[in-house]
Amino acid sequence: MTRARQRWLPALLISLVFGMAVLFGAVQAGATGSLPPKTADEVLAMIAHTQVRELSGTLEQTAELGLPGITAAGPGVAPGAVSAVEFLTGSHTARVYVDGPSKARLQILDRMAERDLVLNGGDAWFYNSSDNSATHWSIPPSLMTAPTESREAAPPRPGLPTPEALASRFLAAIDASTEVSVGGSSSVAGRSAYRLLLNPRSAATLVDSVAIDVDSQTGLPLGVEVRANGQSEPAYALAYTRLDLAAPDASLFDFVPPQGATVNEKVVPASPVPSRPLPAPSGPADQPHPGQPHDGATVIGSGWDAVISLPAGTAPAGLLTSPQLAQALQPVSGGHALTTSLISVLLLDDGRIYAGLVPVERLESAALQSNVPAE
Amino acid sequence: MLIALAAVPILIAVAVKLSSRPATPGRGPLFLDRITQNGLFVAVTALVVCVPLFLPLTIGVVAGDTIAGEANLGTLRYLLLAPAGRIRLLLVKYAGTIAFCCAATATVAASGALAGVVLFPVGPVTLLSGDTVSVGESALRTMLIAAYITVSLMGLGAIGLLISTFTDAPVGAMAATIVLSVTSQVLDNLPQLDWLHPWLFSHHWLGFADLLRQPIAWTSFGENALLQSAYIAVCGAAAYAKFLNKDVLS
Repeated sequence: MTRARQRWLPALLISLVFGMAVLFGAVQAGATGSLPPKTADEVLAMIAHTQVRELSGTLEQTAELGLPGITAAGPGVAPGAVSAVEFLTGSHTARVYVDGPSKARLQILDRMAERDLVLNGGDAWFYNSSDNSATHWSIPPSLMTAPTESREAAPPRPGLPTPEALASRFLAAIDASTEVSVGGSSSVAGRSAYRLLLNPRSAATLVDSVAIDVDSQTGLPLGVEVRANGQSEPAYALAYTRLDLAAPDASLFDFVPPQGATVNEKVVPASPVPSRPLPAPSGPADQPHPGQPHDGATVIGSGWDAVISLPAGTAPAGLLTSPQLAQALQPVSGGHALTTSLISVLLLDDGRIYAGLVPVERLESAALQSNVPAE
Repeated sequence: MLIALAAVPILIAVAVKLSSRPATPGRGPLFLDRITQNGLFVAVTALVVCVPLFLPLTIGVVAGDTIAGEANLGTLRYLLLAPAGRIRLLLVKYAGTIAFCCAATATVAASGALAGVVLFPVGPVTLLSGDTVSVGESALRTMLIAAYITVSLMGLGAIGLLISTFTDAPVGAMAATIVLSVTSQVLDNLPQLDWLHPWLFSHHWLGFADLLRQPIAWTSFGENALLQSAYIAVCGAAAYAKFLNKDVLS
């Protein structure tokens, strides 16, 4: 009988070895090397002086906003409508390739499909494999040359939703309402990083903290994590899982639409280049940030608990009727509200829209207050 | 069984050829709408269709039959009379299963490619990323996909071998193996169990789409190979223990 039992030993041992390997792997992934301590200002200076102009990496984005799962990764998803709603749920994987300020490629890896955004000089291409369609934007040369001086200091690709772009949005909004500190070290994509913590001083906002992992060698932001009040897992996270700082293969940026694909030609009007024509799916960053009002928008308050209000008629057409959004909306007095753990949006029946990183009650009171002078 | 597998791509190709309406992009299996433009997509479409059910079905039959089938026929005793040893018998049986995995995927890919070349025009192939590669490279990628699927099925083969050592009824072992593969795929689609997903042997089965990107994303190939080898090692060791302790009566 003992002999019979002994024969099960290898099976047991192998299972154990795999279990140990998994545990050990998990422990090692969380391990952080010791880095020389730095102050928040030093880390901020590192970000500002980062010299990374070429990279290829894989990005992992997860959103846990408490919204029902929405899959918009089907056919017919037009580039302009790569719905921000889709990127507010679930997780996505994307590959990013950047070579200098004018060449970049973003590949959103869907299940059995892919969406590609290729920027090469004056050409921008968007390709959706699920319906084999391509969109081409010609960017006028005047727009390409004009902002080069300011680009020197700017991140390599403001249009791409990299952790760097997202981090710069948050960092641009730092003012007296934010407490900035360095929260030790972390490890992202196998690189050691400083963890920069932004804590809102206001208690009225839904944001608990924003953590930015900054590469200890290059100062490149490697990951951004937004935590919401009263939620244990991050509400929104975007980070590299793999990063290579060498120049990517140049042929990646030469996009020729495949045979048989439907191609839409568009010309970018001579207005500022930034992310407008690009499907920049960057979740909360799409949220109008304090100090960056959109057309016709007014900002009520300042800092983290600011509320942005859009007058009637400025909402993108078709947004309110989209079935995906209708699923997530809840009726409130005088309109509908989209409530998530991080963002609230109030859509009033008269067409006005209020949004902010605050509970929906604050939006309602803001809407009420602005009613008073009008009457 | 190989003939039945070979019939799948031919069926797809003929059906697409005969239907007058062009397939709507984005509906039906991957690349179905592109077959009319390029016959080389038949092989990939057929593999996509076969992975969830047909291929696991045949592997389940072959792997479930390995030990239990011999026991059922009463030939297991005679096999063990030879001075070869039980470990060797187990290894040979598993090698046979792997050989069938290779043959099955190769059959689907080859008959798909053949049907596509005969019925449709052939040209450079568009990848998921929108880049176009030559016919030669696309053949290479199809072979890579076949290899990926073969690796995917090896874990299921090891599970079938293990179940086969537990019973003398081959039908039971086959059914159990197939049911397990379906169950695993169902569990993989339940978002509530996402902590379990990376450990399911069918989790990476459809990950071969990563081989159709430019550049190839090798991570899913690596993760799949690692997961399958873990299943092979654990199930193989358990099958060894069970089989060596087994009282072979028939």
